Amino acid sequence: MDWKLAAGLGVLLILPFFVTDSYTRHLFILAFVYAILASNWDLSLGYAGLFNFGHIAFFATGVYTAAIAAKTLGVSPMLTIPLGGATAALTALIVAAPVARLKGIYVVLVTFAFSQVLLQLILSQSHITGGAEGMVRIPALQIGDYKFIRDFKFGYYYVALGLLVLSTFYLLWLTRSPFGKSLLALRDNEEYAGARGISIMRARVLALVASAIFPGMAGSFFAIYLRVASPEVLGFGTLSLVLSMVLIGGIATITGPIFAAFAIFFATETLAGTRGMEEFRFIIVAVAMILVLRFAPGGLARILQVFQFKKNRVL
Amino acid sequence: METLLATFVSGLVLAALYALMASGLSLIWTTIGVFNFAHGALMMVGAFVAWTVSEVGGFGLWPGLIAGVATTTVLGVIIEYLLIRPFYGQRNMVLITVMTTLAAMIILEKSAQIIWGARLKQLPRMIEGDISISGAVISAHEALIVVLAPLILIALWQFTNRTPVGRSLRAVGQNQEAAALLGINVPLTFALAFGLGAALAGLTGVLLGGIRFITPSLGSEPLIKAMIVVIFGGLGSLGATVGAALVIGMAEAFLVLTLGLYWTPFAIFLGLIAVLVLRPNGLFGRS
Repeated sequence: MDWKLAAGLGVLLILPFFVTDSYTRHLFILAFVYAILASNWDLSLGYAGLFNFGHIAFFATGVYTAAIAAKTLGVSPMLTIPLGGATAALTALIVAAPVARLKGIYVVLVTFAFSQVLLQLILSQSHITGGAEGMVRIPALQIGDYKFIRDFKFGYYYVALGLLVLSTFYLLWLTRSPFGKSLLALRDNEEYAGARGISIMRARVLALVASAIFPGMAGSFFAIYLRVASPEVLGFGTLSLVLSMVLIGGIATITGPIFAAFAIFFATETLAGTRGMEEFRFIIVAVAMILVLRFAPGGLARILQVFQFKKNRVL
Repeated sequence: METLLATFVSGLVLAALYALMASGLSLIWTTIGVFNFAHGALMMVGAFVAWTVSEVGGFGLWPGLIAGVATTTVLGVIIEYLLIRPFYGQRNMVLITVMTTLAAMIILEKSAQIIWGARLKQLPRMIEGDISISGAVISAHEALIVVLAPLILIALWQFTNRTPVGRSLRAVGQNQEAAALLGINVPLTFALAFGLGAALAGLTGVLLGGIRFITPSLGSEPLIKAMIVVIFGGLGSLGATVGAALVIGMAEAFLVLTLGLYWTPFAIFLGLIAVLVLRPNGLFGRS
């Protein structure tokens, strides 16, 4: 692990001792959730080159797994977090079946259609899912008598940060492993990688499933933390927001989308409080996404790398 | 028997609507190879502009229609120039333009929210009154859509098959380099295709404004419907799009009758995934 990540982690670890108001902590908790979602999406988009729109569906699977398990079935909220990861992985396996055979735009269309299937299922099964109104008053996290919401969300902060740290270690380990390298080989030259004995189908299915686990857990945490599950998570709004984090941060970097998730989330939340900016902030994010695609296709992470490279060369 | 007829008629109305929604999307896909996610948002803009001109401005419906279509045409050309053209010839052009047009969709929707607000608006109908077809009652406006849709599509077909400009559109769609060698102005043709596709979106939006409430999210559902139709028909020809619109419209009407309102979209999306997996070139497409 390089020193910048370690420094970032150190700051985040001691932050709650300095930032004590519950609203700022709330923002950090949600930023952690978005960072998990964006960086895992990057595994399938950046590394596997799969342009899938399914990640919000994996996230939503986690949200509704937690909501139904904790509220309807009475499962302990803590357990619903790994459970959400498992159901999301299962969902990814189902999506992967058609995706493994398709290419390019068809992957976009099939995964988008799948998220719509999930949305329709949630809307139609209102006796289980609450339909368009969603589910409210989902049981909150507590151990013994200690409620995680207490002490200005102190507990929730560390659960979310823990999930992000685990997810980031997992992604960095995976992308540096032989499997991660085989994904890159497939993305850059499918025929050659195939000829060298990498199974395209197997790699795609694994990449999709591997990138669904943490978004599912983040979804479950999201539902338990906010105590709400709403079909809104499957809309174009969430999709484009997280996609912009991946693209602006820089695909195939893992850390880029994490930093971008923080930057974009805090920027949009700050603007939300500014009069006249409530809707305009989304336009700013969309324009930023277009500008990055046009002038810095590798994302902001790549720009920083180029600067470093130049600096080193001069020295 | 009467239920069947009523279902058939409502299927026909849906099919006509879906064919209109999908025509512009299909045209842009066949000529430029861009899947325009802003297509639905353009419908919404068309409806809002028509509403502003005819209701706020008090100029009446027809000037409103013309203003709506003109605005979306210009917007289409702008989108092509700013968000599509810079990416021509790139390896991942199809995927990059999915993202840029998605961004365009957000920009248009949020701008509409800022300009017109979230309050529900509605356009007057083109024709007032209802029409009864042996027991099945539909509004005259819907009947107009059923008549208008095939006419517009035939005109579009005639244009792309019979006129030199339309043929150059198809030539560019099939082989850009060969078309350029024949002296066709490829960039101009792209702009034309996008403008025409956006004009069709605007027209659809104005027609929708008479039967649905106009909100900034008016275009979301039509976009998804247009996507379904274009995918079912195969990303290719206009004729296949029309056929697919008929199949989907009828299937939806009869599924609502048998499966009910809630399971129908679910069944259609499952069918869509099945088609994409088994026949990626669409129901009527050639492999």
